[in-house]
Amino acid sequence: MIIAGRNISKYFPIKSGSLFGKPLMLKAVNEVNIEVNEGEIVGVVGESGSGKTTLGRLLVGLLTPTSGHIFFDIPDDKLKEYDEYLVNGEKEKYQKIEREYSILNKSGNKLKSIRKSMNIVFQDPYSSLDPRYNVIDIIMEPLIASGQLSSDKRYARAMELLDEVGLPRDFAYRYPHELSGGQRQRVAIARGIATFPKFLVLDEPTSALDVSVQAQILSLLLRIREKYNIGMLLITHNIAVISYMADRVNVMYAGKIVESGPKVDIILQPDHPYTKALISAVPGKSVKANRIILKGDTPNLINPPLGCSFHPRCPVAFGICGWTIKEVYEDLKYLIENKYSEILDNKASVNINNENIVIFNANLDKVKKIIEEEMNNIRSLFAIDIVEEKEGHIQITIKKYRVPKMVHHKNKMISCLLFDLNDN
Amino acid sequence: MEQNILLVNDLRVHFFTRRGTYKALNGVELIIKKGEIFGLAGESGCGKTTLGLSIMGLLPRNAAIITGKVLLDNFDLIAPLRDFAQKNINNFNFRRSENIIKKLNDKLVNIRGKKISMVFQDSMTSLNPVLQIGYQIAESFIVHQPNQLLKRKLARVNAKQNQLEEILDMLKNGASEDEVVAFAESNGLSGIEEQVINVWRRNDMSEANKEKIIMSLHSEKLGFFEKIFVFSNKNKAQSLARVPGFSRMYKNTLIKEGYRKAVELLSMLEIPNPDRVVKMYPHELSGGMRQRIMIAIALANNPELVIMDEPTSALDVTVQAQILELIKSLKGRFNTSFIIISHDLSVLAEVCDRIGIMYGGRIVEISSKEDVFKKPLHPYTQMLISAIPTIESQDLRGIGGSVPDMRNPPNGCMFHPRCPYVMDICKTKEPKMLEKDGHLVSCFLYGEDS
Amino acid sequence: MKINMKNQRRIENLKLSLDVFLSNKAAVAGLIIVMLYVIDAIIVQVAPSILGIMHPDELIPNFISPAPLPPSWAHPLGTTYPGIDLLKSILKAIRIDLFYSAFVVIIGAAIGSVIGVISATIGGLMDEIVMRITDIFFSVPYLILALAVGFVMGRNLTNMSLALVIVWWPIYARYTRSQTLSTKESTFVEAAKASGVGRLKIIFKHILPNALPPVFIQVSLDLGSVMVIFSTLAFIGFIVTASVPELGYLTSLGLNYVQSAPWAVIFPGLIITIFALAVNLLGDGLRDVIDPRRRS
Repeated sequence: MIIAGRNISKYFPIKSGSLFGKPLMLKAVNEVNIEVNEGEIVGVVGESGSGKTTLGRLLVGLLTPTSGHIFFDIPDDKLKEYDEYLVNGEKEKYQKIEREYSILNKSGNKLKSIRKSMNIVFQDPYSSLDPRYNVIDIIMEPLIASGQLSSDKRYARAMELLDEVGLPRDFAYRYPHELSGGQRQRVAIARGIATFPKFLVLDEPTSALDVSVQAQILSLLLRIREKYNIGMLLITHNIAVISYMADRVNVMYAGKIVESGPKVDIILQPDHPYTKALISAVPGKSVKANRIILKGDTPNLINPPLGCSFHPRCPVAFGICGWTIKEVYEDLKYLIENKYSEILDNKASVNINNENIVIFNANLDKVKKIIEEEMNNIRSLFAIDIVEEKEGHIQITIKKYRVPKMVHHKNKMISCLLFDLNDN
Repeated sequence: MEQNILLVNDLRVHFFTRRGTYKALNGVELIIKKGEIFGLAGESGCGKTTLGLSIMGLLPRNAAIITGKVLLDNFDLIAPLRDFAQKNINNFNFRRSENIIKKLNDKLVNIRGKKISMVFQDSMTSLNPVLQIGYQIAESFIVHQPNQLLKRKLARVNAKQNQLEEILDMLKNGASEDEVVAFAESNGLSGIEEQVINVWRRNDMSEANKEKIIMSLHSEKLGFFEKIFVFSNKNKAQSLARVPGFSRMYKNTLIKEGYRKAVELLSMLEIPNPDRVVKMYPHELSGGMRQRIMIAIALANNPELVIMDEPTSALDVTVQAQILELIKSLKGRFNTSFIIISHDLSVLAEVCDRIGIMYGGRIVEISSKEDVFKKPLHPYTQMLISAIPTIESQDLRGIGGSVPDMRNPPNGCMFHPRCPYVMDICKTKEPKMLEKDGHLVSCFLYGEDS
Repeated sequence: MKINMKNQRRIENLKLSLDVFLSNKAAVAGLIIVMLYVIDAIIVQVAPSILGIMHPDELIPNFISPAPLPPSWAHPLGTTYPGIDLLKSILKAIRIDLFYSAFVVIIGAAIGSVIGVISATIGGLMDEIVMRITDIFFSVPYLILALAVGFVMGRNLTNMSLALVIVWWPIYARYTRSQTLSTKESTFVEAAKASGVGRLKIIFKHILPNALPPVFIQVSLDLGSVMVIFSTLAFIGFIVTASVPELGYLTSLGLNYVQSAPWAVIFPGLIITIFALAVNLLGDGLRDVIDPRRRS
C-alpha cells in the first residue's frame, strides 16, 4: 500500500461559550481506516461536513491526526501484521511497525523524502496558485524544495510537465490571472506531479470547472495515472465523477466511512441507507420513482448523534441505532399531546425521568395503537422496548443503543447495524 | 390554451469595459409559456446569467442593450435602456446610463417582486443578516400588497364565530377553495379565506389544532391607531401612512400582519416549525433552509415568472434533491412559470419541462427534457452531453478548442470554430432557430431558414 | 530562449503597469507634485547654492525690516516675521519635513511590519502578547503619547520623530499581521507546504510578497499624514525648532499677522496641504498598479 490510514481521528478544539468551560471538540474525522494502492484511484465521496476534505489533508501531511497512524509505502504483509498485532494487543510489535512506516514524527531527510513522494491538487484553481509567481516558477517550486535536480534540469523538467498537462510552452511566463480556470488547474496538476510522487490527493479537482473542461481534466488525470502509476485519492461530492474515475469508493458521513468497496458495488448496489439516499439523490436523466429524500440537515459535529450518527435521518433506522430517551420523549410528547390529543381526550401528559418515559391519564391500548401507527413515520419509536402499566400510569423503557462497526458484507465493508447483527 | 407570458426577441447586450467591449448576448430568442418550468443551461461565459438579469432589467451601468425586446405580458420591460443605448451607442456615458437605470428601477418597482422575481445562487448574501426571516418576507408583502394585509386584519375583526364554524364545516365536507372564497366574499369577509385555507392545508399538526387556530380568527380587537388604518379606505390609509409619527405605527401594523402571512407561506412550502423560523436570523439556518426561504420570498406575491440563478449549486446533493422536489411540487400549486439557470444539465432534466442550451450569447437548442438527453440535435449539445461522466463512460472527451473571446466573437455561428461538422455557410451566416421533431435548434445542419 | 521569454514578459508586464498607472490622471498629478518636493529636497541637500540658498539648515531673519512684506520681485512669496524670505525658507523646510516624515514612516513601517509578520506566523501566546501591546498603544491618543515622550526626552525635532515612530509602528504591525494571517490560510501556502517548502522559505517567498505591497501603499499615504502631524506639533510650538526651517513653524510665525499679511500663513500652510493631497492621489494610483487582480 502506498498510503494506509489506521484509526485516524482529527478533532478541532472549538471555544466553548463559557469562560472556563472545557473547549468543545469538533470531530471532523472519527476513527477512519483507509488504503490506497499504487496506481489505484480511490474515491472518497460525501457531502459538506463529512470530513472528506480533512481526511485528504491528513493523508498528505498537512494536518496532524489527533490519534491514529498514517503509513506510507508499507508492504501489504506488514500492514496485515500490524492489524493483527493491534487486535491482539501486542504493543511492542505494532509500535515497531509504527516507528518504521508512520509519517508522523518524521523529520529532516526522512520527512523530505516523504514530501517528495506525495502531493495535493486543490479545488479552487483561483486561490491555489500564488498570483505573484509565473507558471514555471509555480511548477518548479516542489522541485526546488526537494533539492534533487540542478537548476537547468529543473527548468527542463518543468517544461516537460507543461507538455504533459497539455499547455503550450509559451505559457511558462504567464501569471495565474492570465489563465482560464481549466488552464490553472492544469498548472496545479503539473505542480502536483513534478517530483514524481507515488501518492496524489485530489481535493474536488473539477468542482469549479465547466463540464467540458472537467472532461479534459479527468482524462488528463487518467493518462497520468497510467503513465506514472500514481496512487490517487479523489475527493469529491460529485457521484458522476467518482463513478467514472474511481476503482474503489469510500462513502463518508459525519467523519466516518459508512461504506467502502469496489466502485460498481457501491454505485450500482449500495447497501448502506445513506449511500442509497446519496446515489438516488443524483439528479438523473430519467425520473426516479424510488428516490429517497432525506429529512433534516447535516449533523452537528461537535455533538454528533449517539450510536450511528446517521440515525436521525435514516429512513430505516430501528431500535438500537442510537435513539436517546430524550429524542423518544420529544416525539412521544408531540404525538400524545398534540397530534392525537383528541383521541386521548386531551388529558394525557408525557413526562420523563432519568430512566423512563411516563405518561399520565392515558389509555394503554390507545397509546400502543398510536405508537404502532406512527412507527414507520417517526422512527425513534422503534427504540421503545416495553410499554406497560405501572402504578396508575404508563411506563415506557428504551432499548440500549450500539455503535456500528465496519463489517464485511458481500465484497464491501459497511458500517450499519442492519448488517452488524452479532452482539459484539 | 397555452398562454405565453414572456417573450424575448433578438436580444443583444454588450458590456463596455476597460479591456474591451464584451458581446454578452447576441440575438436571444425565447418564449416562456404560462405554468412551465424552463431550464437554461450553458457553461461559463455563455450569457445565461446576463440573460436572467436582462429579463429583470438588473443590468449594471456599463451594459448596453443594443437591440431586442423583453415582453412580460406584452409590457416591454427594458425599453428605456434599449432606447438609451441605441441613441448613444457611439458615446456611451456611464453616468447617464446610471440615471436611466435609476428611472427604470422606479418604473419597475411594481413589477419586480410582484409579477416577476428572482432567486440567486448564494442565499447567505441575498438575505439581510441583521433582519429576522419573518421581517424580510413581510417586507415583500408590505411593498406589493399592503392592502391585502389590511384586508386580512379587517376580516378577522368582522368575522363571527358562527361564520367560521360554517367555513370549517364546508372544508370538512370537502368544499373547494373557490367555494370558500365565494362564501367569504358574500359575507363581507374577504381576506379570511386565505388565512383559513393556509392553516387547513398544513400537515404538521392535528386537525384539532387546526380547528383551534381557525376558530381563533374572529372578533379581533384593534388598538386605536390600528382602527384608523384598517377601517379607512385604501387611499386614506396610504396618505395617512405618509404622516410622520403615523407612518411608524402603520408600518408596525403591516409588519405584524406580514409575519402572520409569512408563517402561512412557509408552511405552504413545507418548512417545519414556521412559527419559530420567522423569528430566526439567516445565519441560524442551514443552507438548504435559506434557499427555501429565498424561494418563499420569490413566491410571496404570486408572481407570473420566477427566475432562479443556480438555485442548487451551493448545496449538497441530498439537500439539492429536497429543493428540486420542492420546485416540482410548486408547479401544480402556484401556476407560476419558472426559468431555472444552471450549468448542470442533470439538475435541469429533473425538474424542467423544456431546456434551452446557450452558447456564445445565443440559445442554440430548445428541447423537452427527455429529448435533450435522448436526441440532442445541436453539435454543442451532443458534445456537452458526452462530456458528462458516467459509470459506463469509456473515453471522456471534452470539447476541443476553447470558449470564444466575446470581445471578438466568431462570425456566423458562434460554435463553428469548434464544431466537427462545420460547413462554409457556418462561418459567415448566423443560423436562425428552426423547428425539427418538436425541437427548436439553431444549426445549418438542419436547414437554412424556417 | 528562456531569458528572452522571461524578459519579454517582464517588459510586457511593466508596460501594463505603466498603462494602468498613467490612465489615472489624478495619480499622475500626485506623482509629479511629490517628485517636485523630492527634487527640491535633493537639490537643497546637495547643492543649495543653485537655488541661492546659503544656509540650508537655518532660517535667516532680517531684523532690519522684520514686518512681513507682500510678494514682490525680491521676495516672490513675500516674507514673514521676522523678515524671513518665504520662498527660500519653504524650499529649505520641504527638505527638513520630508526627511523627518520619511524617517518616521519608514522606520515605523519597518519595525511594525516585521513584528506583525513574525507575530502572525508564530501565533499562540506570542501573538496574543503582541496584540495586547499594540492595543495599549492604540488606546493612547497619539498626540498625548508624543507629548509624554517629548517631555521626557526633550522636544527637539529628532526626539519628537522618535516619539512618533513609537506611536506609529503598532498600526503597521496590525496591518501586516492581518495580511499574514489571511495569506497563511490561503491554498497556495498549503500547496507550498505540501510540496515540501520549509516554513521560513514560505514566509519569504509567499507571505511577505503578498503582505508587503499594501504596506508600501500605506507608507505613501502615511507620509502625508505624518507631515501634517509634524507640522501641527511645530505649529503649536510643542516641537522646539528654534530657527530650523519647518513648515509648521513657518506657518506659526505668520500667525500674529494673519489679517494684515495673510500670505505669511497661507503659503507655508498650502505647501503642507498640497503635499498631503498629492501623496494620497499617488497612493491610490499605486494601489491600482500593485494588486495584480485589480488590473484585469
